[in-house]
Amino acid sequence: MKFRTPVSSILLMALFIGCAGREPTPGVTDTEILIGNIQDLSGPMKELGMALPHGANLYFNYINDKGGIHGRQIRMTMEDHQYNPQKAVAAAKKLIEQDQVFCLYQVIGTSPCEAIRSLLEENEIPLIAPATQSGTMSDRSRTGWKYIFHTDTGYDKQANILVDYAYEQNAEAKVAVLYQDDDYGANVLKGIAEAEARHGVTVQKEAFQRGATDFAGQVMNLNKGGATHVIIGGVVREPIIAMKTAAAMGYAPQFLGISPTMDHRVALGSGEAGEGFIAANFAQLYNSDVEGAKLYRKLFAASGTDPKVMGMYNFYGFMTAMILVEGLERAGKRLTRDGLIKAMEGIKDFDGKGVFPGISYGPNDRAGTDAVVLVINEGGKQRIISDWIE
Amino acid sequence: MTDTLGGLTQEVVSGVALGCIYALIALGFTLIYKATEVVNFAQGELMMVGAYVNFFIVTALLDIPLLNGAMGFLLAFAGAVAFAFLFGTFLDLIINRPLKDEPVFSVIMATISMAIILRAVMALIAGPMTRLPVSPFGSGVVKIGGIVISVHDLFIISSAVALVCGFYFFFNRTKWGIAMKATSEDPMAASLVGIPVKKVYRNVWIFSMVVATVGGVLLAPKTLLDTNIGFLGLKAFPAAVLGGFGSIPGAIVGGVILGVIETVSMGTLSFHFPWVKEINDIIVWIVLIAVLMIRPAGIFGREEIDRV
Repeated sequence: MKFRTPVSSILLMALFIGCAGREPTPGVTDTEILIGNIQDLSGPMKELGMALPHGANLYFNYINDKGGIHGRQIRMTMEDHQYNPQKAVAAAKKLIEQDQVFCLYQVIGTSPCEAIRSLLEENEIPLIAPATQSGTMSDRSRTGWKYIFHTDTGYDKQANILVDYAYEQNAEAKVAVLYQDDDYGANVLKGIAEAEARHGVTVQKEAFQRGATDFAGQVMNLNKGGATHVIIGGVVREPIIAMKTAAAMGYAPQFLGISPTMDHRVALGSGEAGEGFIAANFAQLYNSDVEGAKLYRKLFAASGTDPKVMGMYNFYGFMTAMILVEGLERAGKRLTRDGLIKAMEGIKDFDGKGVFPGISYGPNDRAGTDAVVLVINEGGKQRIISDWIE
Repeated sequence: MTDTLGGLTQEVVSGVALGCIYALIALGFTLIYKATEVVNFAQGELMMVGAYVNFFIVTALLDIPLLNGAMGFLLAFAGAVAFAFLFGTFLDLIINRPLKDEPVFSVIMATISMAIILRAVMALIAGPMTRLPVSPFGSGVVKIGGIVISVHDLFIISSAVALVCGFYFFFNRTKWGIAMKATSEDPMAASLVGIPVKKVYRNVWIFSMVVATVGGVLLAPKTLLDTNIGFLGLKAFPAAVLGGFGSIPGAIVGGVILGVIETVSMGTLSFHFPWVKEINDIIVWIVLIAVLMIRPAGIFGREEIDRV
């Protein structure tokens, strides 16, 4: 009888300590990790909205079938922000507060990602692999930088590399940039300004609005300015029209493109005008020989999805899923948000089965990689013509 | 100097081609406005629908050996126009008829709703990917002096001119055209003198849908095809106002003026005066307001004086 009280109180204390140590992490149960994804399902980038998560799920399902991560299955829930920053904030709030997701992943678009920075900081919730190549994502002067792990090479770095490439090809080159007048273009211009300072030159700059249908004015100006190398910071439609307009005017500079122009449709749609067009990309192509791409093709074929959509967007989802999974694996069995951040910071030279140049993070480093490969268009087919360039 | 002049001429030529696209959409606005005094805000979307229907037929015919060339394009175009007839009739049935005696405002709201619905439905049917239609006229260009114009653009210009002339003739010289004008002036009086007002309304919606289809078919290979190309309608609207809302020659004149201003300000003007780049987006609207200040009814518009 005498012993009872101390023993039971010790047991009780042990129970409390146990509970305190195991405060449940949102979105994590013994069997499942819930992650949140915000895509544009009905706005201007809707083409990517279904493709990215589909590709990511190919890899998640592959991992789940192998037993999951430390016994937990990954499940992804999605919201639509229509590429609207306000709606992105509402969607992130819902995912964090209502659905109680463990972390955010692949939120698409520069402006939407910028808009949810303070939410990330307030809730101390990580965002892994935002689906934008804007260099601002890994900018440590911005709110919530600690929670964002950017995978892709920034537009600014890509622009730098492309200017260098132009001068390597031809020391007498006259470089110009044709950029989209928005956040994306601003980040490209930032890189151009750095390159101008390094090379001591002035780059001719021509702007266009997203969705522009006529490029006669800009192309005339590029021609008048005598540009021999034109870097295009556009997406799909605009580079095609610009190159076709130039070809129609008999003006044939070397066109170079920032990674969104790597879309296969640019190569297909520009026809002869786009022959020899070179685009930068932050990863190997989905149809390349690296192990990651082979695995992707195998899983894609097994999923029974229309092979027509096998291209870069599904693959983008797939490869970034590998990074998230790597982080979750490293974070261990006792999964917490802080644990994931520490685990991500420990990733060094992760190449995702050969797909990436080597992704590294650190306590003060949120930019996954600074390198690109160059992809040339030859008769509507794309071929990689360089090693990783930094 | 000759360089600048050559550049300017090239920009004007490109601007005319661009302006003719605006003109084709503006013509659609004008036709409906002329007969019913309704501004159809779904005009750009009608163009998008026409372009998609044409694209679907061309794609379907690609697999049939005999029909994957010029014949296929012709058949697809005929199919798209046939669809335009049906769809125009349908629009008249669901928008115009039920709202015939309601305030014009209700009809305009209905057209805005229709625009949103068409965009959404087409996105469901066609999927989210941008399509890449090829030009039936190939990618050839014509060179005159130093000026280059693509064969496709030449077709755009000639179609716009032909349609505008055709409709001008129709409204001023034919019985049906004059009946349409009379209907817009006073539907009650028109029906009293035996003009079948309902038929007039239906035809004008059909015409407008056909014009939109022609515009869409010509535009799609130039700008590629997605569900947002209908927003071009918003640019054609100032073109119609500039030329004088309700005036058929005004549609093409307004369209061409806007197209030329756009390319020249984006080109030569921006090249010599970099600050122009910053205001490129609003130049069109500045010109619009300036013209309206001097000629409130637009360049070709008639000022109507209501008797009290």
